[in-house]
Amino acid sequence: MVEAFAVASGKGGTGKTTSTLALGMALAEDHDVTVVDADTGMANLLFHTGLDDVAVTLHDLLVEEDGAAPTDAVYERFGMKVVPCGTSLAAFQAADPERLRDVVADLAANTDVLLLDSPAALGSKSAVLPVVLADRTVIVLQPTIPALSDGLKVQEYARSYGTETAGTLFNRVRDDEGIDRVAEQADRYFGGETLGVIPESDAARAARQAGEPLLAHAPDVPASAAFREAARRLDVRDGASGDVADRFRSAVVPDQV
Amino acid sequence: MNIPRGELLRSRVVDDPGAALAAALDRRLTGYAVFEPQDALLLGDETRGVVTFEDGVPVLAYCTETDRGGAGALADVAGPGPYSVELYELDRTALAEAHEADDLRVSPGLPAERLGTDRDLVTRTREAAPDDRLGTDDTDAVEAFLADESQIEAIREQARNEARSRAEEWGLTDALDD
Repeated sequence: MVEAFAVASGKGGTGKTTSTLALGMALAEDHDVTVVDADTGMANLLFHTGLDDVAVTLHDLLVEEDGAAPTDAVYERFGMKVVPCGTSLAAFQAADPERLRDVVADLAANTDVLLLDSPAALGSKSAVLPVVLADRTVIVLQPTIPALSDGLKVQEYARSYGTETAGTLFNRVRDDEGIDRVAEQADRYFGGETLGVIPESDAARAARQAGEPLLAHAPDVPASAAFREAARRLDVRDGASGDVADRFRSAVVPDQV
Repeated sequence: MNIPRGELLRSRVVDDPGAALAAALDRRLTGYAVFEPQDALLLGDETRGVVTFEDGVPVLAYCTETDRGGAGALADVAGPGPYSVELYELDRTALAEAHEADDLRVSPGLPAERLGTDRDLVTRTREAAPDDRLGTDDTDAVEAFLADESQIEAIREQARNEARSRAEEWGLTDALDD
């Protein structure tokens, strides 16, 4: 069984990678979880997981002549399988997106929950691919007008490809008093439910600097508790792993990244 | 709310109260505006909205009839128009005492959001506002944004159209959900 989620936000700086890894770690208590850095043009998951000096990343799997097997880029970390992406522009340019589809299909066949850390952009073919391929999206928001309007855009793009919203996360929240009213109003426009309201946390930055996910670095801070609660609310649906893998294999993939 | 009487700069009848807010912003007015909806003119009642400014940026809102402040006052005053609007200039120190009333405060862009029709004015006002005015009271502006269903629907429709035209451009039309 498997369900693939694209963790998306239209805007950078919402803490999408922090959220992806936090949900991944929390879900890993009950599921076999694989987290993939699908932001191949602006990878940063590797820095959050202490994998910045590993030999093989997703980029290597996307370059034909390298001959790396998908499992070579899978690292068991923090109770999850983590597939980082490299940051080299040359590797990004050499990557063949046809292979991304197959690589992700292979990964999907061997896990319960696949989380795709998606690009904070909609302006290119490779940027929309994660929301095209995923079963559902988790949209990371902040209670600001730009973040909400970009979140709405991501949702509409995803829905255009038949990918519904599993729920929303309000991240980096500073105003405790107003957020309930904002979340309640936003709920009318977004699919799924508000999975969580995550308070702004200095621990998130410290965790990133330490090369660890927030839930590993500071499991007891309020933000970590809120992420665990959000993961509990995310109802992972049973799907045949073969279906997801097939869908990834047959998905229309752009000619160029 | 007690504010000393200022010097009258202009008095107009306008369809869009945003015009008065824009005038206050453009001349970096420190003072206040008094809005009187047309139905108040006709019915002779006492509904008047007062918005104060510092350097053109709204600080307080107050409705005389309902005795409400902040976002509530703006809701009480908002209507189809036209409005009679007067702009007054006042010394900053004369406003200082009134400006201590936290319950009357509005976020900088909120009067333009609620009373005006020009969305640019919201942006321009927020850009002119000092950083310390753009803190947590942003929530008012976010709520106003989410309350405007037609605006939200416009964003969604534009995104849908964009997604479809891009899909065509990128050769992803087969993946679209029909």
